[in-house]
Amino acid sequence: MFDLSSRQAKTIFCVALAFIGFFLFFPIYWLVISSIKGNTELYRAVPTPVPLAPTLEHFVKALTAGKLPMYLGNSLIVSGASACLVTILALYAGYSFAKYRYAGRQPVMLFMLSAQMFPFGLLLISLYPMMSNLGLLDTRLGLILSYIVFAMPVSTYMLYSYFSQVPDELIDAARADGASDLRIFHTIVLPISVPPVVTVFLYSFMWSWNDLLYSMTLIVSDDKRTIGPGLLLTYLNEVNSDWGGAMAASLLASAPIVIAFMFLQRYFIQGVTAGAIK
Amino acid sequence: MAKLELSGVKKSYGSTDVLKGIDLTVEDGEFVAFVGPSGCGKSTLLRLICGLDEISEGTMAIDGHIVNDVPPSKRGIAMVFQSYALYPHMSVADNMGYALRLAGTPNGEIRQRVQAAARILRLDAYLDRKPRQLSGGQRQRVAIGRAIVREPKVFLFDEPLSNLDAALRVDMRIEIARMKERLGTTMVYVTHDQVEAMTLADKIVVLNAGKVEQIGSPLELYNKPGNRFVAGFIGSPKMNFLKLGKGCGNGSYAVAGGSVTLPVFAHAPVEIGIRPEHLTLAERGKNTLSGVVAMTEHLGSDTYAYVALNGAEETVVARIPGEKTFRPRQEVGVEVDASVIHAFAADGTAITSSGNARVAA
Repeated sequence: MFDLSSRQAKTIFCVALAFIGFFLFFPIYWLVISSIKGNTELYRAVPTPVPLAPTLEHFVKALTAGKLPMYLGNSLIVSGASACLVTILALYAGYSFAKYRYAGRQPVMLFMLSAQMFPFGLLLISLYPMMSNLGLLDTRLGLILSYIVFAMPVSTYMLYSYFSQVPDELIDAARADGASDLRIFHTIVLPISVPPVVTVFLYSFMWSWNDLLYSMTLIVSDDKRTIGPGLLLTYLNEVNSDWGGAMAASLLASAPIVIAFMFLQRYFIQGVTAGAIK
Repeated sequence: MAKLELSGVKKSYGSTDVLKGIDLTVEDGEFVAFVGPSGCGKSTLLRLICGLDEISEGTMAIDGHIVNDVPPSKRGIAMVFQSYALYPHMSVADNMGYALRLAGTPNGEIRQRVQAAARILRLDAYLDRKPRQLSGGQRQRVAIGRAIVREPKVFLFDEPLSNLDAALRVDMRIEIARMKERLGTTMVYVTHDQVEAMTLADKIVVLNAGKVEQIGSPLELYNKPGNRFVAGFIGSPKMNFLKLGKGCGNGSYAVAGGSVTLPVFAHAPVEIGIRPEHLTLAERGKNTLSGVVAMTEHLGSDTYAYVALNGAEETVVARIPGEKTFRPRQEVGVEVDASVIHAFAADGTAITSSGNARVAA
């Protein structure tokens, strides 16, 4: 047997980790240093691994000259609204699947999860005429509703598994205390479900924030464009040569998700149900 | 204050009958314990009384009013759950006052009643704490407090002490006994621990496979079990059962290498039962059965001696004074207190006798 604690094994693990780490983090490192290099340094034939003269000029330019703030704002509105919508819908659906017994419960849930098996592009083909008929093409509402497709099935399933673990006795106790079903859900179950709710919100927010395809297809007007297509159309075209600007804008675009994860990560770990039973 | 009446209560889940017709009356102020093996339906019966599950057939009445379709909160009952089921995000005071708040009781009165209950249960100092900041015993008291605050007509307890460690369980048992004295409310208590049932209850209901086996006071069940199931279920260590051999007339039967003479019964007995405390280990003699000590358990005050009887498959257990010791494999005589032999017919029912039995080698 290969001894996992031997020096040899440790060396192999370290090398493997370094290799993976390099591929994961080098692009991000390159993104960061390129965004703070001046233009002259950026276009040198031999790139410098560490910026010689760091500057924030690309950030300032991206935030003041271009339409980046508008794109970011649009994304925030659309992603925020769709994440709220997904979270609220998934909460009730998940609770219903977890705590009520009725005919067709399992098939409905499987049917919903099966939506996740199709490529999102495929679903877009049927969504497009729907949105067109409803007159929702090129509207924020149309985009918000379409984004439900991304995260709804998995969000519902995540909340379903969480609610399944909420002890039945807790719900029975509230029922014996005289609470109605909706009140039990709102005053007993929801307050102890903050971690999964935050997780689901972030998860669905991330899906819509990172979207390119739906937004590109369903939104035409520049003033409603979200950050994904915004970045693409501004920086990735034949005439663009503003690599510093592209890097700075990309960093700014990823910032909200990264910051949100930093602040809310404790919810992923923390459980507030301690003390409920036993 | 309330009288609880169940008649012909059945509960089925699909085609599975969990309760097969329960008739039961719990008098006003009475403390009734449901005991029985796992899956006998005792917790289901409690949930039906509480109103958490619907009764499939039969009626249930509280104080003469049929409550089959009355929701739990309107029945005037309060339930204490096995897992306590405290609301983890609420303080102790909010946990206890939740039902009153739902019922629209004024804030001042809620505070007053919560404080009164907290005083009874010595929880005054913990009213602002969350359940996770309490010990197991304190959580259990909060769960009981939550029931007391509602001033219910009937208290329901679903194995309330089974999550506590042994020492705490004894303390809480005494606490519940005190509460029973103090409140004088009708109480229904589900437990699998017969010590709890024997010590707390005025009346014990023994359930088995969805049916009532026997109802009676703790001592009635212990001294006069109605059938073999109750005889074996109540009492620890369990009652010893010995199969009777062929009868030789005059009520005399072969048993475990010896013979037993029983008074004349209406039905033929096939088995006798003897409680462990009615067996004594002695020198072999004319009026003893004989056997070999298989194992002894020393509990300090008592010793349980397991004896493999000669000429029988069964091993019997004798409860003997703690200071006595026996070596394994030691040959002993087993003396039976013949005045308290229980006899059972083929269908398991206990048959009562008028006279005394006699055992001989």
